[in-house]
Amino acid sequence: MALIRTQYSYHDNSDCCSQLSGRVRPVGGPVAHDCGVATVTGERLLVPVSESPTLRNTVAYAVRNAVEAEDRYDAVHFVCPASRRIAGEGSVESARELLERVAVWAAEDLGADDPEVGVETALIGVDTYLFSPSDYVELLADYATDNDIDSVLLDPEFNPGENTPLLPPLESELERTGFSVEMAPVERGTRRGRLVRRAGLGQFVLLAGLSYGFYLLIGGSLAAFDLVTGAMSAGIVATVLLRVSTTGPVQPRKLVARIVRMLVYTPYLLYEIVVANVAIAYVVLHPSLPIDPEVVEFDAVVWSELSVMTLANSITLTPGTLTIDVNSRHFVVHTLTEGSREDLLEGGLERAVRFVFYGRAAARGPGPRERGDDGGEET
Amino acid sequence: MVTLYEGAVLALLAGGVFFGVVAAVGLLRMPDLYTRAHAASKADTLGAGLSLAAAAAVLASSLPTIKAVLLLVFLFLTNPTAAHAISRAAADQGIEPWTAEDGGGGDGK
Amino acid sequence: MTLLTDALLAAAGAFIILSVVIVYRIVRGPTMQDRVIAVNVVGTNTVVIIALFAAALDSPGVLDIALVYALLNFLMSIAISKFTVERGGVM
Repeated sequence: MALIRTQYSYHDNSDCCSQLSGRVRPVGGPVAHDCGVATVTGERLLVPVSESPTLRNTVAYAVRNAVEAEDRYDAVHFVCPASRRIAGEGSVESARELLERVAVWAAEDLGADDPEVGVETALIGVDTYLFSPSDYVELLADYATDNDIDSVLLDPEFNPGENTPLLPPLESELERTGFSVEMAPVERGTRRGRLVRRAGLGQFVLLAGLSYGFYLLIGGSLAAFDLVTGAMSAGIVATVLLRVSTTGPVQPRKLVARIVRMLVYTPYLLYEIVVANVAIAYVVLHPSLPIDPEVVEFDAVVWSELSVMTLANSITLTPGTLTIDVNSRHFVVHTLTEGSREDLLEGGLERAVRFVFYGRAAARGPGPRERGDDGGEET
Repeated sequence: MVTLYEGAVLALLAGGVFFGVVAAVGLLRMPDLYTRAHAASKADTLGAGLSLAAAAAVLASSLPTIKAVLLLVFLFLTNPTAAHAISRAAADQGIEPWTAEDGGGGDGK
Repeated sequence: MTLLTDALLAAAGAFIILSVVIVYRIVRGPTMQDRVIAVNVVGTNTVVIIALFAAALDSPGVLDIALVYALLNFLMSIAISKFTVERGGVM
């Protein structure tokens, strides 16, 4: 039975002995090295992993590949990039869970009869900022150098960033850096992104409650028949849609706080909408049509998918601005007039959304302009 | 005699129709897709919102009013999303936004 | 009450005329997305018209139709934008 080693390596930390646990070898196998990195001969395979629909098959392929070409690989390293700085402690925690799952799968695939292939997992980039593909390449290259690896196997759905399509540039950049890169020949799902998530009881109750309330509201009666059929449909809806309609565990206190702050936000938004429309009405009805459209881009400092959605919709509803594209936190906004551009970059709305989702302290952060992001203009 | 209540409903209706007109005029006058989406997503949303508020006020019995308000909230959520989806599809297809230089007609800033 | 009924019906009439005017944009285009935006606006106007009729004629049951129509209208926009993009991923 192959044993699994886990290490938590930090990007700028080249001292391999700081890894949390030592290398573990199967009983009867070669003697474990304390720092067993530089001294071991034989090729190793680096497999970057992230939550993806084809992850299971990629792990299976990597292990099979290593076993069948035994002279080529004596260890498979699964690494998961996760940045606490960008996505918070939660993402590091889920990356850790992911690696545990990968380790279990790899052990399953190796079976009892193959002690020669070592499986290692590592969490990388925890304290770094990961934005562009080159950041990931640098991170992976550092890990590979530290561990003497020069072959990389890529999961075709590997996508560690939020929803940024990362793979094509990643593949070519890795090859340019001198790795031999192989794409795992696994079935590619039709779905981009992580639509299906793990879900628990909290989400079920929330979703079923919402559906039930909506059903009774539309039905408009509280007769026994409606109560029973409503409960049944709410149950079915919640069961079927549970895994696609919520983004994470429900935290009741946070949820209530958000709803309250959302109620504070709504009048502000309504006011902004009315102002927006008077401005639009003036522009539209003015005989000479005084518009000066331009596309601006900026990175918003909001974190979750829900808050990004709220901000995108709010931008669309307010003064002469229309969200065209959002890539994780990068907004591409079409602005109708000079004045609306100024308002957007002042960041009033962004602050308001931060207030709704993260409370008053977060609202005081700087707007896009103060962050030195003057909306790099696009033609 | 026009009561306060009736006056409020009339004002809402007038506002609704006004912004409906703005949306339609904007849709016809604007030079390109993105600017038209501005008119459609904003003016039309507010126009519809005001009209629905008037309808909700007139219905004045609890359940239909709640439904009208629900409809209003739904429109406010979906209209910008739809406008965003359409303009994103357009941007994806490589449709370039119109600028003041292209038209020459607009007097810029 | 009759004043309000008249006003509601007049507003509904105005929205109908606006929708007819917007048909010009649907016909002219020039791009697919222009038409989708115009159809979306006509759809929103239709929802408003139905709701105004429901209020004017005091038949709240009609509101359910408006609700369903609003849902379909939204789905239409999303579906079309989704399928006019090659990679099929607008949302």
